[in-house]
Amino acid sequence: MSEELIEQLRVNLMAANKEPALEATQGLVDGGVDPVVILEDGMAAAMFELGERWKRGEVFLPEVVASATLFKKCNEIVEPALLAKGGAQKGELVVTATVKGDLHDLGKNMVGAMLKTVGFQVHDLGKDVPVDKIIAAVQEMQPAIVGLSALLTTTVPQQKVVIEALEAAGLRDQVKVMVGGAPVTEEWATSIGADGFAPDAPEAVQKALELVGRSTKEAEVVLGSTA
Amino acid sequence: MAERTIRTVKHREHPLDILTDDQLHRIQEASLDVLERTGIEVRSEVTLKELGNAGAVIDESTSRAMFPRSVSLEMLELAPRDLPLSAREPGMDLILDGTRGYLGVDGNAAEVVDLETDERRASNKDDCATATRIGDALPQIGYIWQPASAREYPVPVEPLNNLQANLLNTGKHICMMTAVTPEQARAVAEMVTIAGGGVSMHEKPIVSAFQCSVSPLVYDGGPLQAAVEFAKADVPCGFMVMPILAATAPISRAGTLVISNSEIIAGIIALQLLQPGARTFYASCATTMDMRSGAAVCGGPEDIVFQMANAQLARAYGFKSMVGTFASGSRTSDWQAGAENSASGFASWVSGVDMFSGAGLLYAARVFSHAQLVLDAELFDMIASTSEGVGDPQEIDYAVDQIDEVGPGNHFLDQEYTLEHMYDVWPTEMFSHASWEDWEAAGRPIPKAKATEKAKHLIETHEPYPLPDGAEAAIQKVIDDFEKEYVQ
Repeated sequence: MSEELIEQLRVNLMAANKEPALEATQGLVDGGVDPVVILEDGMAAAMFELGERWKRGEVFLPEVVASATLFKKCNEIVEPALLAKGGAQKGELVVTATVKGDLHDLGKNMVGAMLKTVGFQVHDLGKDVPVDKIIAAVQEMQPAIVGLSALLTTTVPQQKVVIEALEAAGLRDQVKVMVGGAPVTEEWATSIGADGFAPDAPEAVQKALELVGRSTKEAEVVLGSTA
Repeated sequence: MAERTIRTVKHREHPLDILTDDQLHRIQEASLDVLERTGIEVRSEVTLKELGNAGAVIDESTSRAMFPRSVSLEMLELAPRDLPLSAREPGMDLILDGTRGYLGVDGNAAEVVDLETDERRASNKDDCATATRIGDALPQIGYIWQPASAREYPVPVEPLNNLQANLLNTGKHICMMTAVTPEQARAVAEMVTIAGGGVSMHEKPIVSAFQCSVSPLVYDGGPLQAAVEFAKADVPCGFMVMPILAATAPISRAGTLVISNSEIIAGIIALQLLQPGARTFYASCATTMDMRSGAAVCGGPEDIVFQMANAQLARAYGFKSMVGTFASGSRTSDWQAGAENSASGFASWVSGVDMFSGAGLLYAARVFSHAQLVLDAELFDMIASTSEGVGDPQEIDYAVDQIDEVGPGNHFLDQEYTLEHMYDVWPTEMFSHASWEDWEAAGRPIPKAKATEKAKHLIETHEPYPLPDGAEAAIQKVIDDFEKEYVQ
């Protein structure tokens, strides 16, 4: 019975069918299914499979984003059960920000949504975020990764400024820095001493998994078990 | 088999006229002058005599037929304007009423780009068959010429083998371009009548034809006689001209248009004199000469002007237009081909061409490429999508409620109406917008490679509309009988 519901959850989450996906999630929680199983075998597996399909060009981006949005809603149903279970393992924390002077945050939001689907916790600082605010967040929350987005050639240099500020504050060794945005390239990322770069959201997820020592392969074993 | 539809460009109520009213009028008048004063050379004593009996002024010493102005005007008046081109397959008839434009597979290439080796080689019947099959599969293709020549067969029977390759591989409308003798025309009519299960060509012409002039101002006897035979068999027959500016036409653009228009209306006038009331159409592939190499350009601005002007002239006379479109002068499916064909395709759209001929040719129409056919179909699809503007006037969505719902600073990606309509966004197959990284990882693929794969896939998997029972053998018998009689 629960296998069937998990399958329903996966199918409807991938198709962004809101009501059926939420019903399946609720049904699984009410049925006393281990919330970790719902999350991993159901929701995360669906998002992983969808990401793979997107990479192969089989689905359109709005479908991925719609499913990621729905994932958040399903997560709201599962989360209390996870907390009630007590031993819910929290994923690594990623702090995201669109740098000072830049209001283009769509890409960053998509990366954030996708990161959550593989178990990361995401704390979003928003857009037009001053350096000081990012440094303070790293100090206080001690994230595993800080992700910096910039869309404009005029704001991309802010990514370098943040990395320099992290160094000045003695925080650089404690956190991995990922950069992204339309004008950002691997070369730029390397030149400013960033740890990671990705040209799109699914690849950003892979890169983040690598940076925290969860290899892509491991992720496939965990998340791709039903794919 | 589910009924398919043909993708078309939607024409504007008022197509773009490249000629002013005065220029248009002067070209028409100049053409009447040319036909009265200079006339056309007809390389057949019999046809020349028939034209003379029907009203043309004949000069036997030069084999010329001159058409007095009054005769020309009377015959142009007489020619029917309606052109109902049908197809064997249900739903595939062409609707030629000025509201839309169709793309055809171009044709009769002497050589092809081999799908396996990517090298140029002599064309054969199988090339004609495979290119036809791809054209049949592609929704952007409305009608099909003989894409390549069955050069392994003796010349007299080659067109019939081309047509057989067509008939076995498409249920769409076929336009016969290589039947240039009355005997071939009769055999063609016989073959298509069999393929159509005895259908009346008067009611449902599943094949049309055209005949070509030899610029400047020459018609061979065979093609004019073939046009008459086609008319007798109720097969509509147009007149297609291919003058080359500076070589077989004057170096002025207007002068070349006078030549092309004179030759086309000469064909129409001659046909009406010999077979009054025959259905016909106005066709041109006028081009220019490259001043360095002497090659035909097929793709420059002169070509585009000719495309637009010929569409306008056809419209002014009230005839349906078939205009050379695409057929880049480039040797491969590269930037030159993309640039020339984009400009050419858009020109045919905005000027209201009825039949865009056509897809698949390279090297100024000398070489056929199956991959180019796929790419041209995609380009036509892009133009077709553009021609739809902001959508059906009854269904235009100005999205004010959606904009309010999402609000400032948010995004529309995961909205239900986005998901509902995401397939309405033009779905490119051949172009790529992958990330630079993915593109590099894939070995910097070019559209031509993707198109080659698609071409091979369609050849292997596409099932054309079947011929009636027994038709295949009966068609073969027509060819065999023809060969016995006319091939030594």
